[in-house]
This record gives sequence, structure tokens and C-alpha cells, in this order.
Amino acid sequence: MLETALEVVKMSCTGIAPDAMELLKIAYVCERNDAAKKLLETMIRNAELAAAMDKPVCQSPGYPVVYATLGGDIKLEADIQKVFGKAIRELTKKGYLRPSLVHPITRKNPGDNSGVGVPDVEVELALDADHADFIISFKGCGAELANVQRVLTPLQVGEGGIGIKKLVLESVVDAGGIPCPPVAIGIGIGGQMHYASKLSRKAVSVREWTDNNPNEEVATLERDMLAAVNSLGIGPAGIGGDTTALAVKAEMVSTHTAICPVAVNFHCWTARRGGARIHSDGSVEYLFQRR
Amino acid sequence: MPKEARLTTPLRREDVADLLVGDVVHLNGTIFTVRDMAHIRIMEYLRDGKRLVEDFDGAAVFHAGPAVRKMEGEWKVTVVGPTTSMRMEPYSETLLGKLGVRAMIGKGGMGEGTREALRKHCGVYLLSPPGCAVVQSEAVSQVLRVNWLDLGVPEAIWVLEVKDFGPLIVAMDPRGDSLFKEVREIARSRISGILKEM
Repeated sequence: MLETALEVVKMSCTGIAPDAMELLKIAYVCERNDAAKKLLETMIRNAELAAAMDKPVCQSPGYPVVYATLGGDIKLEADIQKVFGKAIRELTKKGYLRPSLVHPITRKNPGDNSGVGVPDVEVELALDADHADFIISFKGCGAELANVQRVLTPLQVGEGGIGIKKLVLESVVDAGGIPCPPVAIGIGIGGQMHYASKLSRKAVSVREWTDNNPNEEVATLERDMLAAVNSLGIGPAGIGGDTTALAVKAEMVSTHTAICPVAVNFHCWTARRGGARIHSDGSVEYLFQRR
Repeated sequence: MPKEARLTTPLRREDVADLLVGDVVHLNGTIFTVRDMAHIRIMEYLRDGKRLVEDFDGAAVFHAGPAVRKMEGEWKVTVVGPTTSMRMEPYSETLLGKLGVRAMIGKGGMGEGTREALRKHCGVYLLSPPGCAVVQSEAVSQVLRVNWLDLGVPEAIWVLEVKDFGPLIVAMDPRGDSLFKEVREIARSRISGILKEM
């Protein structure tokens, strides 16, 4: 399992997921602002160079979360957090990840990306599946600085969720260039605060940015919000242009009659996502592979 | 029509005075990586009247923390790219007014205090393409020295020699113009119209 974790972590930080690259290339073709086009070109070149030179795509590895979906006949040989924690420390030693994790108050940096609760591990069961998935996502923390969470009242939600849409658009404008646009935006709606928050991070971290939401109501919201965000004109790096977001990914669950929690989660353009699917026969299939 | 400028550090007032938002700059010479913890320590040193480890007069300060490796006793930069500049907003007046910093390089843009300090002290804010650490590090020829490594690798002050470092886009200029401010104001004015269409 350590070998698989090492491969997944290394793959995730030395380039961007192929779906994000596809969207960047489309954005480059469509972009009409010259400076913005130049920035998109540099981003594409940077991601391709990172993969070709086996270097980290960005100097900051961001913060790691492992999404484990346990199904099939998977027997865990080791603690998921320990295995991925070890893989992260080893790749830090080899220079693939800058030591960036610190004590939250003293700011002391142990120098190897070790730490309490690292990486965050989110586990779900999929008892009907014949495989287990382990997906790691390193999400940058400039993007994290722009995140917004609110618990809205029924009045604030408004007709057709107009209050939610307004909150997202205002968050994008407040964020400006801070989250390294073009961004992907995760929106979590419903549950309680923590639930909306987790859904917002998961939506933008696990799903391919080119996928379609199977829930038609949410798929429509995603499409509408993507178009709306891109008509704001924030542009790559926040200097203006047609390309503000590459994707909007939303997840919605029921909530209590008194509230509507909403979480808006920004992801920078560097989609550092890697994964492995372990089948019941023990074979390993790597996800999000670059062609 | 945007200009292209090749500048060498230390930067004098006249090197940057004519730069306008949208112009493109390439830098040669020395740049200092300075982020949150080093800024906090600089402020403490100034408060206590202690001598700083570096002379920032005419300096180009890079909001960044590199990924580095020590090879045969020498530090090498693996990759380096910009971090979110807005966190450094509280220190702009001190850095530009008191220490003589001439250029700040970063991503995401800075606020009103910085816009005012740049105008008052004739400085520029240069946008480094975000997330483009591999491209950027091609221009770093060597690590000259490192200060305050006790703050951790990302937060230390790395003094880097650069050749043709760029492209950097002038995003805030000495006249007080800011691409970020302009873009945000337009975007904010569009929100209600967009919502009506939805």
C-alpha cells in the first residue's frame, strides 16, 4: 500500500489532472484578453514542463486530503492516514513537496510535512462496489483564504436559491486574484455547517472538472453558475479576462427547516489530484493519469 | 501600448517611475523572498531598533517561499513561485517608506494601503504568473544566501540571483493605478445584472 500511496502522491504534485488541462486549453483558445491569454499560455507550459521534468507544478503543495471509498473485498493492511503520511514525508525528503505544514498557533515547521492529523482522511463506505478508491487532493491555500461559509435563513435563500447564487458571485468578486484564477469552485449546500463545508471541498477535489452531475437540478446550477462567474470578468490571476473559472462543482443534501448552510470552496487552477483504484483481485489501476 | 522593460536591481526611482499597469517587466540581479513570518520579524526588529540582516534599499521583494534541496552543501531551488500577496498588506508602508523597497512581486494583488504607499514612494507591484513555479525557477541562477531559516524553509528570507526573471506584469503602478481594483469594481457592478438574468 505504501508503494501505491507514493505513486499517487508523486503523480498528483508533478502536474495537473488531465481534465483540468483540457479545460485550460479550451480557455486559452476562447480567451479574448491578450494579457490573460499570455497567462493561460504560461500556465499550460508550466504544467507540461512540471510533468516532463518531474518537478512540483507549484512550489506550495497546499494541504492534503485523502478521500477513501471502501468497497470490494478491500482489507486494509495499514492505517490510511499513516500510510499517506509516510508517503508525504518521503516525497518531501526527495524534494517533491516543500515542507509547508506547521503548528497552527506557534507556526513551528517540523520540516517534513509531518503533523497532527495529517493528512486529513475522509472515509466513505461503498459496500456494493467491487473496488476501493483512494484519491488524494493537494489544494492550495491562497485559494483557501478566499473560502466563504454562511448559514442562511429561509428568507436569505430566496426564490430559486437566488441568495445562494448571490453569495457565490460576491465571493468570487471579493476573492479577485487571490485564489489563483482560473479557479474551480466547490459549492456545498444543505446539512449543517460542517456538512456543507465537507461537500464543498469534496466536490471540487474528487470529481473530474469535466464531468456532469447526475442530479439534473444540481447540474443546471453548476452550468448556470459557471456562466455567471465567467461573465464577471475577473480573469486569470485577477487581471481581467473571460476565464475566471474552469468549473463549478456543487453537492446538495437536505437540511433542517430553519436553515440553509452554504460553503463556497475555491480551488486554484493547479488541480493536484491523484488516485488509485484497488480491485477485488488486488490489481491497482491509477486514476486521473496524464496521457 | 504596453511597454516591455528589462530592469536590474537595485532599482532606482527612475527605473520604475514610468511603468504603467499592463507593462511587462523582466528582472536581473537579486531578489529577496519575504513572506508572513519574515515580515513579522522585520517589524519586531524595527520596533526594537535592531539591525536588519539585509539592506532593502532599492530591493525587489518576492512574496514567495521556494521548494529547495541541499546538494553537496549548497542550496538549490527546485521551484519557486508567488504566494498570496494580500497577507503582506499591513507592511507595505514600512517596507516602501522606511526600508526603501522599490518592487513587490507576488500574486493576487494588494489593497488600498499598498496602492497609496506605491504612489507615495514610487514603487511597483508586479504580478508573477500564479502556480507557474517551474517556468519561474528557470530564471533563478543561484541561491546567494538564506536568512532566518529557523522560521522554516518557506518563511525564511532566500536571497536569489535571477537572470531574465519574468514575465512580470505591472499590476499596480507608481501613479496609483491598480488592475485588480479596476477589474473588481467592474465585476461588482455586474452582479445585480447577472442575477436578474438567472
